[in-house]
Amino acid sequence: MKEAIEFMIPGFCGMGMHFKLDGFRLVYVCIAVFMWTVSGVFSREYMAHYKHHGRYYSFFWATFGATVGVFLSADLYTTFIFFEIMSFTSYVWVAFDERRESLRAAETYLAVAVIGGMVMLMGLFLLYDLFGTLEMDKLGGMAGAVLAGGEAPGWTAFQGVEAGREAVSQGAAAGAGLQASGAWAGSRIFSSPVTQLYTAAALMLFGFGAKAGCVPLHIWLPKAHPEAPAPASALLSGILTKAGVFGIIFLSCVLFEADGAWGQLIAVLGLVTMFLGAFLAVFSVNLKRTLACSSVSQIGFILTGIGMSCLLKNAGEDNSLAVRGAFLHMVNHSLFKLVLFLCAGAVFMNLHQLNLNDIRGFGRKKPALKFCFLMGALGIGGIPLWSGYISKTLIHESIVEYMKAGGGSVFWKGAEWVFLFTGGMTVAYMLKLFAALFVEVHPERQAEFDAKPAMNRASKAVLTAAAVILPVFGMTAHLTMDRIADMGQGFFGGGGGHGHVVSYFSLENLKGGLISIGIGIFLYVVVIRGLLMEKEEGTGGKRYADRWPSWLDLENLVYRPVLQTALPGVCGAVFGFLDKYLVSVAVTVFLTVSTVAGRCADQAVDGIVRLARATTHSQKPEPKHHDSNQAAYVLGHMADKLAAFGDRIRRLAKGNKKKAEAGTGRVSVIPEFVRREQELKVTGKLVEESFSFGLMLFSIGLCLTLGYLLVVFLIW
Amino acid sequence: MKLLLPVVIPILAGILVLVSKEIRKNRKMVTGLSAAVLALELVLVFTAVLSEDSLVLCRLTDTIDISFRIDDVSRLFAGLTTLMWFLVGIYATAYMEHEHDEYRFFGFYLMVEGVLMGIDFSSNLITLYVFYELMTLTSLPLVLHELTKEAVQAGFKYLFYSVAGAFLALFGIFFLASVSPSLEFTPGGVLDGRALAGKEGLLLASACCMVVGFGTKAGMFPLHGWLPTAHPVAPAPASAVMSGVITKAGILAIIRVFYYIIGPDLIRGTWVQTVWMLLSLTTVFMGSMLAYREQVFKKRLAFSTVSQVSYVMFGLSLLHPTAFAGALSHVVFHSVIKNGLFMSAGAVIEKTGWTRVEQMRGLGKVMPVTLACYTAVSLALIGIPPASGFVSKWYLATGALSSGTGIWGFLGPVVLLISALLTAGYLLPIAIQGFFPGQDFDSSELKKRKLIGNEPSFRMVLPIMVLAIAAVLLGCFPGSLLQMITSIGDLVF
Repeated sequence: MKEAIEFMIPGFCGMGMHFKLDGFRLVYVCIAVFMWTVSGVFSREYMAHYKHHGRYYSFFWATFGATVGVFLSADLYTTFIFFEIMSFTSYVWVAFDERRESLRAAETYLAVAVIGGMVMLMGLFLLYDLFGTLEMDKLGGMAGAVLAGGEAPGWTAFQGVEAGREAVSQGAAAGAGLQASGAWAGSRIFSSPVTQLYTAAALMLFGFGAKAGCVPLHIWLPKAHPEAPAPASALLSGILTKAGVFGIIFLSCVLFEADGAWGQLIAVLGLVTMFLGAFLAVFSVNLKRTLACSSVSQIGFILTGIGMSCLLKNAGEDNSLAVRGAFLHMVNHSLFKLVLFLCAGAVFMNLHQLNLNDIRGFGRKKPALKFCFLMGALGIGGIPLWSGYISKTLIHESIVEYMKAGGGSVFWKGAEWVFLFTGGMTVAYMLKLFAALFVEVHPERQAEFDAKPAMNRASKAVLTAAAVILPVFGMTAHLTMDRIADMGQGFFGGGGGHGHVVSYFSLENLKGGLISIGIGIFLYVVVIRGLLMEKEEGTGGKRYADRWPSWLDLENLVYRPVLQTALPGVCGAVFGFLDKYLVSVAVTVFLTVSTVAGRCADQAVDGIVRLARATTHSQKPEPKHHDSNQAAYVLGHMADKLAAFGDRIRRLAKGNKKKAEAGTGRVSVIPEFVRREQELKVTGKLVEESFSFGLMLFSIGLCLTLGYLLVVFLIW
Repeated sequence: MKLLLPVVIPILAGILVLVSKEIRKNRKMVTGLSAAVLALELVLVFTAVLSEDSLVLCRLTDTIDISFRIDDVSRLFAGLTTLMWFLVGIYATAYMEHEHDEYRFFGFYLMVEGVLMGIDFSSNLITLYVFYELMTLTSLPLVLHELTKEAVQAGFKYLFYSVAGAFLALFGIFFLASVSPSLEFTPGGVLDGRALAGKEGLLLASACCMVVGFGTKAGMFPLHGWLPTAHPVAPAPASAVMSGVITKAGILAIIRVFYYIIGPDLIRGTWVQTVWMLLSLTTVFMGSMLAYREQVFKKRLAFSTVSQVSYVMFGLSLLHPTAFAGALSHVVFHSVIKNGLFMSAGAVIEKTGWTRVEQMRGLGKVMPVTLACYTAVSLALIGIPPASGFVSKWYLATGALSSGTGIWGFLGPVVLLISALLTAGYLLPIAIQGFFPGQDFDSSELKKRKLIGNEPSFRMVLPIMVLAIAAVLLGCFPGSLLQMITSIGDLVF
């Protein structure tokens, strides 16, 4: 496919939508159509016993539309729109069962999807701010320019603010207050466009990685997959995670085409994810959970391939091996998981159980089921002649190639061994599943199992059709897989070239595969059969021990406590306090203060009067007469006595003794004396006060005069 | 005349409903008359906004007059207001059947619409202020409607907050009247920076007062407290329009003051802008956080309004064309969405009497259509593309980043996204538990109360459906709306 078909809906959601159909997208749309058809047919049987068929099918097809939308999108805005729709419509799948665990798993799924979506959106904001566009084709070149030290179009241009700043400084030419702030406007938080680009990409990686199931955001996969109906799990694992991978490919192969640091980040994430997923899968005793963990692990393989393509390009090598390996592994994994999850679905719809101990031996007499599962297992295990071997070999080769180019550091040697060891674990856990389902015998229910048909004819037909593809692809790699890779690699920023033609079955290439298989068989025999099985009581046989490290659940250990308890607790308390008390406390304080102030103002004049009366104008009680007017009394008494004596003598002189004895009739002069004395005192006091007042005025005047003189003299 | 009728007719009709004994006694008459006036108003407003009219109603002094004029902002707000009023009115005719004193509700409901038209059409600050105060007074009886103790207390709280806010703003108006050459709304502002020399400090202080003052109606921290108190006690249609439309009157006042009188250039980069951004972002986060922790459904929605209207405030505070477009589109989208949410809440209360979130498990069995509409508008409010909230958020965030406000431009989008996350956290569980109550859910209680499949009446479901569809479609095809908003933005910047 040489010419890409493009299609646009301008103005949709404001920014418009842009679709494109090129080789990569064509392959993935075909895979989507194929997977939805197969699981759609399978759903008819699987969902027969469920209620709410309408709900299931409407969301089934809505998710199909959204997923195809993601893969066809040619700008990130469109990608994001469909990505979010896809997350929400697929949510219904996980919750569909309405069992307690399903609802909890669905909650986790939704939380991861929403948080991932929001973080990704922040990345998109930053990216759009930097470049002014989200067209995938344009972004690649622009990002390259920025990384090479160039400017981004959005970096210096502040729309409308430039003009505004001018106006501000003009308008405030006279006043310094507004002018100073002019320089503040137009500042940025990021120090350089490169930092902003990396931040944006990291945020988007978070969003896409959450959907892809990259560690540490893989938590939703092992929970959601066992709970969703099997056809839905097949799609969730087979193709919805690939929508996340699609975004990571864009970031790594288009945006950071040849960035070493980014490549290392992705490769390391890939290796960790790959190892951890497989490690968990070995421990799991739940059929669908094992497959879910296996999905995590396989996504790790793909990410490693993507990371290697970045690194190889950075080292100046041809990266087509890594690109083709990653892409083919994507395609393969979609097909594997379709087959494997539908097989699991066939088990579940008959037994409604997923624990390996309960479903032991279910497939013993069911050749079609056995065939399909075997194809899937051999494919995913990377057995030569099956398609998984091809893609894993390519990724392995790319690591080897990078070591050759980069001088074979210890780290990459280790990486190679992680890769091979994880391949071994893949073989081990698939062997475990296969042995449990098709080899072992259920201690009690084996006869019942054998009597049950696994599935009806239609389901059998589509499942077999899907399973046959795997060996066919693997055996005719140059005819089929190489061509698919040719179609797809354009999107990875690779040229048209094949690199060198890989002979998949050369001894050197077979070696890697065989090492993995060897490790796998060893692990199965020693670890799984040896350590992970325990004696079964009663029968004397062995059963699978549940050593699933449930305490190691990041969700229960970290995410839920932080997001559900700590953050809302702290923030809620702080803001609840602000909400409740800020205004009321302010109002109370205001009321209190203003009441006090008002009272004070109200009583200010009265207060002055009171103060004056208490101090300067104190009204002492009237002094008692005999206390203060002692002189007047004494004198008055004396005067009275004197006058009486005089009278008496006068009367005696007149010779009237009797008359002389009879009363005087004269008024005492004491009150008069007292009045006089009082008058004298008041006058004296007045004189005294006036004098002191005069003195005071005089001294004030003197002070003023002196001060004036001083000032005059000092100034002169 | 075209401008006067939409203002006067609803007010007169409202008074008529309130005073005429004949009408008061007859329920059918009240609802019929109200519906007729609402429909007539729709026609009147649309003929008014399609014209380029202006009108001087009366002159208070030589310089101050009460006058109306139509521009793009009034078109946007008036159109939005009447449409919402009409839809909620239809809903109310059914909803109020189980309430007492319908006439009082509808009387004031109509009056508030007329007053809001006055705010939307006003061509100067004085006219705006006059109608703004009238709006507080006429909408108060909507809060008081139940006449319970809580309702009366909430009504007083509403009154005090509104009056306090309006007086804060009034200080600003006095200052502007003293320094501004005119108080006529002119795109881009009328203040001349040079003439203000020496009064910058006072200008900024009064601008700050106006942000906080008018922000009261828009539910902005610190004077947001009336919203979560008034909404739960008011009848659902009243909470719907208060949350969806009346809060927007505060926004309109802010737009008029900052983009049509002061002018964005005088505020850009000053401490007022910083305070404004800080307050609005605090509100965005606080509202979502408290909504997330709130269990009373209508109160949760009220906190959500606190948060969402401050998205608009934040957009306006950035003083940037893109953010401005985001803010104005969010005015429309939030109005559509919040009316839809409150009407759904009302439908739940009317049918089941459930007011708390934890009671609503299995709601999907009771009213699937309403709950589906609720889910659609919830997704729109969270901002899940392609529904409408996403579009406004996109413009707000990209505008913030390119506004050159340094840390705020970055912090803004982060807070918006965290708030979106919390929005998902407080809206979606209701839909999820409604549709997926779980296998252990016992529906016998619902059966006993004959609630299964008990959708509210058509007049209630229809407006909710219309809004749900609008909330999604406006997001998918926002072209013409954005065009209109951009043309406003071109004028004011």
